[in-house]
Amino acid sequence: MTLRAAPQNRPEDFDLAALADGCCERLAAAYEVRGMIAPPIPLPVIEVQHEAEGVVTLWVQVPPEMVADYNPGQYFMCWNPYDATGSMGRPNYHSEKPYSVGDVKIDRSGVDERIAADTGGSGRTMLGFTVKDLGRQSGELTRMAVGDWLAVRGPFGTSFPRMNSGDRLILVSGGIGSTPMHMAALDARRKLGERLRIDAIMGFRNAVEVHYIERMDNLCDSLEITTDDGSMGTSGFPTGPLPDLLSNGHEGRTVLLTCGPEPMMKPVLQMAVDAGVECYAAMERYLPCSVAMCGLCMVGDRLTCVDGPVMEGDWLLQQADFGAAH
Amino acid sequence: MADLGVEIPGLSMANPLMLASGIQGGNAAALHRVASSGAGGLVSKSIGPVPREMYPGPVCVEAMDSVILNAMGLPNPGADKFAEVVRGEEFAKPMLVSIFGGDAEGYVEVAEKMADAGASCLELNLSCPHAKPGSRSLIIGQQPELIREVVAAVRAAVDIPIYAKLSPNTTNIVVEAEAALSAGADGLALINTVSAIEVDPFAGRPIIGNLLCGMSGPAIRPIAQRKVAEISLAMLRGELPNVPILAMGGIMTGLDVARFIMLGASAVQIGSALIWDDVDVFQGIADELSSFMEQNGYDDLASMRGIALDSLEGLS
Repeated sequence: MTLRAAPQNRPEDFDLAALADGCCERLAAAYEVRGMIAPPIPLPVIEVQHEAEGVVTLWVQVPPEMVADYNPGQYFMCWNPYDATGSMGRPNYHSEKPYSVGDVKIDRSGVDERIAADTGGSGRTMLGFTVKDLGRQSGELTRMAVGDWLAVRGPFGTSFPRMNSGDRLILVSGGIGSTPMHMAALDARRKLGERLRIDAIMGFRNAVEVHYIERMDNLCDSLEITTDDGSMGTSGFPTGPLPDLLSNGHEGRTVLLTCGPEPMMKPVLQMAVDAGVECYAAMERYLPCSVAMCGLCMVGDRLTCVDGPVMEGDWLLQQADFGAAH
Repeated sequence: MADLGVEIPGLSMANPLMLASGIQGGNAAALHRVASSGAGGLVSKSIGPVPREMYPGPVCVEAMDSVILNAMGLPNPGADKFAEVVRGEEFAKPMLVSIFGGDAEGYVEVAEKMADAGASCLELNLSCPHAKPGSRSLIIGQQPELIREVVAAVRAAVDIPIYAKLSPNTTNIVVEAEAALSAGADGLALINTVSAIEVDPFAGRPIIGNLLCGMSGPAIRPIAQRKVAEISLAMLRGELPNVPILAMGGIMTGLDVARFIMLGASAVQIGSALIWDDVDVFQGIADELSSFMEQNGYDDLASMRGIALDSLEGLS
């Protein structure tokens, strides 16, 4: 049977921008009334940005208030109602899953700058979800094209602590854990400008999957790249360069944030705790419902979906089920 | 202080508020989390003979005001794994273990494993409306002869109290209640979700990963109340034996609990409300119920049980 609403079956003269505007209005209404537990609202993908092999950023248009309310660390549930073949025949290829926002931007390409100030036209607020091909569902997302549906709802969960003037932020990511670290850096810079120091370590398996370097370099005072195989930057894990950063004396508060595989985050948090540094992790677990219904995302006695994903490092280190690969 | 205590077969609870099956209760950590709240009792996720994965998401959304739609797909760790939880864990609150199976043999297998592990009572989920992906066939709970077969088989296999959980998606729920009770059930639990579907007009397809779903939340509370009332009235008329009813469907407040008790329920189960306020809802609802009872001079639940039926007695 032909699924006539599948993006592949649209007429040739289809106006994607008009659809994006309509969907964005719909999302704004749903968000205002129901917040994060609204049904997922399908949005057409406006732009697909290649980041690295198997890593893409999907850009969708969202209401400005949704971006304004978003706090780094929080996640959105993302769903592609059709798989890349335009069918619904492989449900496990397009199940709803949690994703951190990777980037935000205002697209002013459709705005006439000469009249923008008069009409209040400020462009399209865009949310970028950076996805790495790690399995059936995320793999399917990396194969999405402009015009395909990406349904979103959120933002869900806890966020990183608020930074203050004079603080120092240490960001340690592994693989696609880069995305919340980038949002933390972006948010801190936007709010505090140069009045805080940001040091980042980004770990990758190899040079092929390296991404977000330029974005982070623009925001951080120092950036160290590590690869497991030494094909780029320092050879080894992010824990290699970390002791130097932690022992580098900073007057005032230092906060370490980390996101990545649990076997990487555990030693990172341990080193921070040992150095007396306040630390938090953005946790990732199998998280099917996001609304405290299924109970399958437990870490210790907490639900990752509502008590997380951001959790305190010293608490996590006390949990027996923290630190294994998932 | 009003006495909120409940004493029914297999369950001795400080208050009538139980976690509804399917919410969080599939593993020890999640059950402990709920047990540490103000809930009076726990109900496990429905446990089947073998482990089952969750359906593809979205699995649970608030589709519109007061309407929760879900199709989880009976995800559960399987009877063997959950028997370890029943055997090894000491929960702060009594637990009703919900079970399901594909047929009578499946129910018996799980029931025996739970009873051997020390479960104090069972809830037979006869009514999950989406037990197979995309299934449109009748569920066990819509076929009285199958209900009788399943309940009788479990009754013969275990000695612990059995509560039969009924579906609202039938013509006359008294028929299904009669089938369960005549086969030896010690009590009833109702209602399961109302079968539903919701379409996203932009995507041109249902918004739930499983396509078909069940509806819960405050919007179904009046439906649930009607089903409870029909069964309670049949009990009053002597058409059904007088057994405890565990009522559920969209309970959000202490007054909602009073409504169900006044229609004859002995205890209630709460599920969808956790979406908005997580496990904190239990203490809030308990406090509200207690203060309502004090204001109105009800010393205990028995003193208000079934009083709303008085006005319905003349109905033929």
